[in-house]
Parts: sequence; structure tokens; C-alpha cells
Amino acid sequence: MKTIKVDGKEVEVPDHYTLLQACEEAGAEIPRFCFHERLSIAGNCRMCLVEVKGGPPKPAASCAMGVRDMRPGPNGEPPEVFTNTPMVKKAREGVMEFLLINHPLDCPICDQGGECDLQDQAMAFGVDSSRYAENKRAVEDKYIGPLVKTIMTRCIHCTRCVRFTTEVAGISELGLVGRGEDAEITTYLEKSMTSELQGNVIDLCPVGALTSRPYAFQARPWELQKTETIDVMDAAGSAIRVDTRGREVMRIMPLTNEDVNEEWISDKTRFVWDGLRTQRLDRPYIKVDGKLRPASWGEAFQAIADKVSATSGEKIGAVAGDLSAVEEMFAAKLLMESLGSANLDCRQDGTRHDPSKGRASYLFNPTIAGIEEADAILIVGANPRWEAPVINARIRKHWRATDLPIALIGEHVDLTYDYAHLGRGAASLSDLGEFASVLSDAKKPLVIVGQGALTGDNAEALLAKVAELAAGEEGWNGLAVLHTAASRVGALDIGFVPGEGGKPLSQMGDMDVVFLLGADEFDVTQLGDAFTVYIGTHGDRGAHHADVILPAATYTEKSGTYVNTEGRVQMAARAGFAPGDAREDWAILRALSDVLGHKLPFDSLQPLRAQLYEAVPHLAAIDSIEPADVGALASLGAGDLGTGEFTTPIADFYLTNPIARASAVMAECSQRFVQGALQQAAE
Amino acid sequence: MSTFLKQFFTWWNGNQLNFRFHLWRNAEKVGEDEFGNVYYQGGKDSEGRPRRYVVYTDISEPSLIPPGWHGWMHHKTNVAPPSAAYEAYEWQKSHRPNLTGTVSAYRPKGSLHHTGERPRVTGDYDAWSPGE
Repeated sequence: MKTIKVDGKEVEVPDHYTLLQACEEAGAEIPRFCFHERLSIAGNCRMCLVEVKGGPPKPAASCAMGVRDMRPGPNGEPPEVFTNTPMVKKAREGVMEFLLINHPLDCPICDQGGECDLQDQAMAFGVDSSRYAENKRAVEDKYIGPLVKTIMTRCIHCTRCVRFTTEVAGISELGLVGRGEDAEITTYLEKSMTSELQGNVIDLCPVGALTSRPYAFQARPWELQKTETIDVMDAAGSAIRVDTRGREVMRIMPLTNEDVNEEWISDKTRFVWDGLRTQRLDRPYIKVDGKLRPASWGEAFQAIADKVSATSGEKIGAVAGDLSAVEEMFAAKLLMESLGSANLDCRQDGTRHDPSKGRASYLFNPTIAGIEEADAILIVGANPRWEAPVINARIRKHWRATDLPIALIGEHVDLTYDYAHLGRGAASLSDLGEFASVLSDAKKPLVIVGQGALTGDNAEALLAKVAELAAGEEGWNGLAVLHTAASRVGALDIGFVPGEGGKPLSQMGDMDVVFLLGADEFDVTQLGDAFTVYIGTHGDRGAHHADVILPAATYTEKSGTYVNTEGRVQMAARAGFAPGDAREDWAILRALSDVLGHKLPFDSLQPLRAQLYEAVPHLAAIDSIEPADVGALASLGAGDLGTGEFTTPIADFYLTNPIARASAVMAECSQRFVQGALQQAAE
Repeated sequence: MSTFLKQFFTWWNGNQLNFRFHLWRNAEKVGEDEFGNVYYQGGKDSEGRPRRYVVYTDISEPSLIPPGWHGWMHHKTNVAPPSAAYEAYEWQKSHRPNLTGTVSAYRPKGSLHHTGERPRVTGDYDAWSPGE
């Protein structure tokens, strides 16, 4: 710790702090454009100038000067900086004037208008008029992809985007060329950026040079209703802010959650919103003579009741989808129990997770923030870059900061960091080569297991083997199961798996009636002639196969609990209402239960949650992780690992769920980044 | 008979009798536009400028005055369209009066009185339909 005096106020700050951070700590506001806590220091905007006592007679850039570089006074007094002297005021005004020489005055038509750092800081720290009558420079706009729109004349060359893409996203595709007035940010060859995190440069850009292309000219920030909620596009559970105008979602922005996503979100999370208004199910449908026709809720419920009463409990099944909240799965489970059915399944991808083996067997036990404590990482059958881009960014961050050994067993893909490729299948797991000693010497080894490795009959043996590899020092559990579906851990927590005598998804074809809770990610034809009730939001695979469709609410249209891959319980909030006749999922199940003659014992979310918390107490602790018992992992039966090769369950990052498949933006990204890459590889 | 009474009791169906007398005494005709409105000038207004008058063919509707005459009426120019010095701009379109309240009034696309699809607004969504 080091003591420093800011504007006469003494503060104690850690040694590694910059002057800027120390001043913030002391409560002094420092304007800045290029400085960002999570990126390297560039020091090129010069907006953060402060006066250093006893230093050279010129202002110093506070972002680029460390607290430990400061010399104490002659009698050992703490070093002193000033942020409110005439020198600082004049320096800021001068810098702002220089920045505005070439910045266009197009705020009224700029998408950043209203949330622009330059706009705000020009008001706070600039002068009121311009002394420049000369022509402003103009820069040609670059095409850098279907997601990020550029208006390069507005760029003030803070290089945050360049630093983000190289450091966090791990692609060296953006750069600054030219000097002085000719400086330009470019992708060099006018090609699109190929990162799953590229949308974050929109938030990083302090001016309107990089803006969101799908959101261009759609809305103004001050007319949007902001709702803080949770993302469900992957199992990381990133914190997001959903901006709505009226009922409609206009954009999705990241929020800061140091334990999960820091402040980044993936492009699927950010740009999926146009899928929320296309292909929506907005009224119930019943299949009559092989054709679906619109129906009323009463007719639809009656059609289901007729089928259910004609069969018995063991011929009824339910499958939970990847985006379902815990509440509706719990309601569905209660309903199925009262109907006498144990045929529940949430594992659409064919994995063999079993809650009876203990919670530790299906959680990302070391936690996402815990990645930064690991001293060796082995990735088994996963492609974290596609399965959870923010977790991959976290691994990359740790890899950059330390000399972290990483190895991978599975498909050989570009993960944006170096790793040793040990093999493609289970066989390599028993023969790790040199990496075996790295892993056994590591105090905190971390083994990430993807869903691709956990399918098939050898899943349990494989998990036992991995748990053994992941054992480190006392108190460390390095077994990190990386899920791909936001609903999965929640479903496993409440036990949405076949009960006593129940049948898994693969045998649901024998059923007479099957309920699908937004389940689209499996081959629906395997349900055969079963009477299928689809409760969901989008006209996707499940809806096309369904005999009765009940329209439900998406994740932005309901309040629901989601448990992320590390077991963190989080609550999503409602940002808008579902379209047309669509209702919240739990309410549909409650209404249906009445018609079926097995009325569920709750009338609103609160009693439902009270029951849920009674059955599964740890779900009541929102925003926290209930640590799983490591000892239970010992009960996993070891055995033959098999010889199969691991493949990631995600064939296309941009099209993993019904909402994303309905989105035109995601379709274009898929076309360009996935299909395009495949074509290039084939050529 | 009704026309006879209207000139005493209404002002919007042509001029009243005593205005016609005033016009005959004080003003002289300057010209006539394509709609048949007749323009007069005579006397002085409060600002010392020549007072200008229009006599509408039919209903009293100021938006019927075409732009050339409009400028003259409002003293923006002293050049009335019949004079040799008047020149219409090449881009000038033929004049149309204000159509609000008539059948040819502007209606946005997709409104109740117009065909076509209305533009997309907040809250619109594309519903899924099962297809055939």
C-alpha cells in the first residue's frame, strides 16, 4: 500500500494502482477516453492530465503513471497530485479542443448520442465554442462485419477497440494505421472480424465510431426502459441489461458481474434480440386432420385432457428445453408426479448427468472466477470458445497473465490461446504424455469437461477419470463441467431426470403423450406417433412436430430462476410482455393442471417459489453458489473409457436455440462466419 | 334567392355587398390567376403600402392563391405574375390548394382510408404460422 495526496486529501492505495485510479479512490473525477481497467494502458488520448507536485512543470497523463513511480517530498511527505488546479483545467480544455478539431458535429444523427463519453466530457471539461474554421478531416468507413457499424470520421483514436480485440478477444484483426492526421482504425484488408466477442467494441468505443449495426437508427437511449436480467444463450449466465421500448426489446447490453462475465458478453447474447420478434407463437394451435389450426386456450386444454385421460401415467413423458426457467420445470415435474409419471428428461444432448451422483458431478466446481487461480488447465471434449465465449475469454485472460499450461483432448480448434493437443478421443485421457506430470504437480489443476465427452455409455467412467485428474490440494475441486444450456443445471438441481422406473428421452417414442417445454434441440421424429404438446415460444422443430401448441414466454418476458454452469442461482427479470395470447410457462402448466383434474397447489409465482425453495433449499440463495460436496465424486464408478472421439455438441455457435434460429442477424453471422469458414476450409 | 341572401349574411360565399362597393370605389384590377381568383390593388394600408385584395371565384380559401400571387399579396414582391418582369422558376410545380378535409387529403400508407401495409412500429412481431 502506498499513501498519496490527491487535492490535499490523503488516500492509501495498492502499489499497482495508476494515478488515475488513485484519484478516483480519493473521489476526484478524471476524464478519460483511452484508459480502461480491463485493457492495457495506451496513454494516447491525453484527457486524464493531472498536475504532479515537484514533477516536471507540465501536466502528466495520470493513466500512464503509476503510484509507485511517484517520489515523496523532501521530508518524506506523501507525493501530491492535483486535479483541480488552473493548469489541469487548461490542459483538459486544450486536449478537448484538439479532439474536437476533427470530430464531426453530427450528434443529432449519431447512435451514440445521449450515451457518448465525448459528448459528456465536452460538456463537463471542454470550452463552449470552437476556434477552428478549417475543414474537418474525413475518413472512409470500413466494413468490419455484419455486427459492428463504423463511422470512422468520428473516431478519436483511443485504440480501445484495437486493444480489446488483441488482448481479450484474441484476434489481431483490428489495428491503427497511419500517423497524426492520417491515423485510421482498420481491419487492413476490409475483412470482417471473426470473434464471438466482437460486439463488445461497441460498448468500449467512447464515441460513435463503432456502433451496433442491427440497432442502427432504431432508438435513442433515453427512451428505452432498462431491465437488469440474466442471459440464457449459454450456460455462463452473463449479467445483461435488456433495453425495451414498449413491449419490444431494442437491444441487449452487458452488465458487470466480476464473478461471471466481467463486463463482456458474446455476440449471440448481444444480437439475438431480433429473434425475439420473429416466428413467435402467439396463439394456441391444435392439429386437426394432420393440419394445425388456431384454437382457444380452452379447446387446446380440452384436447390435451382427452388424450391424457385415455392413457395412464407411465405412458406420459415430459422433456425440458435449454431455455426453460427452474420454476416452470418444477411446475411440470409436480404435474407429472401427480399424473403418476416418472418419465422426465432435460438432457436433450444425450448426456448421462445424474443428480443422484451428487451435485459436484455436474457443476463447474472451481467457479468461473476460480479459473484465474488454476495453475494447469485440461480441456476435455469441449470447445469453450463456442460453448461459453466469456469463459473462454477468462481462460485467455489467465493464460496471458501467467505462463499457464493448457492442453486439449477433442476437436483441434482455435481457442485464441496456445494449448497442447493431446488427442481427439477418450483413449488420450488415459495417456496424457508429458501433461500428466504437469497436471499431477499442479496445486490447482482445472479440468473442463464438455458435454461432447459425457454422452454415451462410458460417460460415468469418464467423469470418474476426469475427477481423479482434477484432484488438487485440500479444498480444491478442479472438476469443471461446462454446460451448453442455461436451463440444464437448474433442471438437474430439481431432479428433472427419469425417476424410479422412468424412461429417458431416448425411449420417449413409446409414450402416448409427451410434453415439450421448449425442447427443440433433439430429433423430434424419435417421438414417433406420441401425442406431442409443445409449450414454447418459437415455431421451431418442436412446434412443427406438435399436436397441440401452447404459446409461452421467452427469457425476457418472464421472471424466472436460472442456475448457471458453476451452480450460481440467478433470477431473470421480465422486461416486456409476451405477444398475443402467449402466457408465462408456469401459468400455462397451472391452468392445464386444473383441466387435467390435478390442480397444482399455487396461484402465483410466490407460492410456487416457496414450494420450490422448500424442495430444493439452495435455490433460495439468489446470486450465490452452494458449494458441492466433493466426496460424492468418489461414488462415480470407474470403468472402461471407451474409444470414441469427442465432438462438441454445438455445430453452429450462432444457431443453438429457437430464438437464435429465428434471428436474421444470427443467420447472417452463421452464413458468414461458420458456413463461410467451412467453405474456405474445403477450398 | 339564397345567393341573394348569402351576400348579406355570409362572408365565405363570395364577397358581401358593401365590400364590392368598396372595391369598386378604391381599387383597380391587377390580374387573374389560373383558378379564376381576381386580384385588385388600391388605397394605402396602415404601413403606407398599397392595399391588395383577392376576390375568390368560389369559396374563400387562401391556400388557393398560387405562389406568384402569394408573394405579391404579402408584399414580398411588387412584381405581380401578369407583369413582364415576373418569371416562374423552372422547378416550380403547378399549384394545388390545401387538400386537408377533402377526399384527396394525404393518408399514410396502411391507414384506414388507404391501401398498403403500414410501416413497422414498436411492438410489432411476426407470428409463426404452421404453413400448409
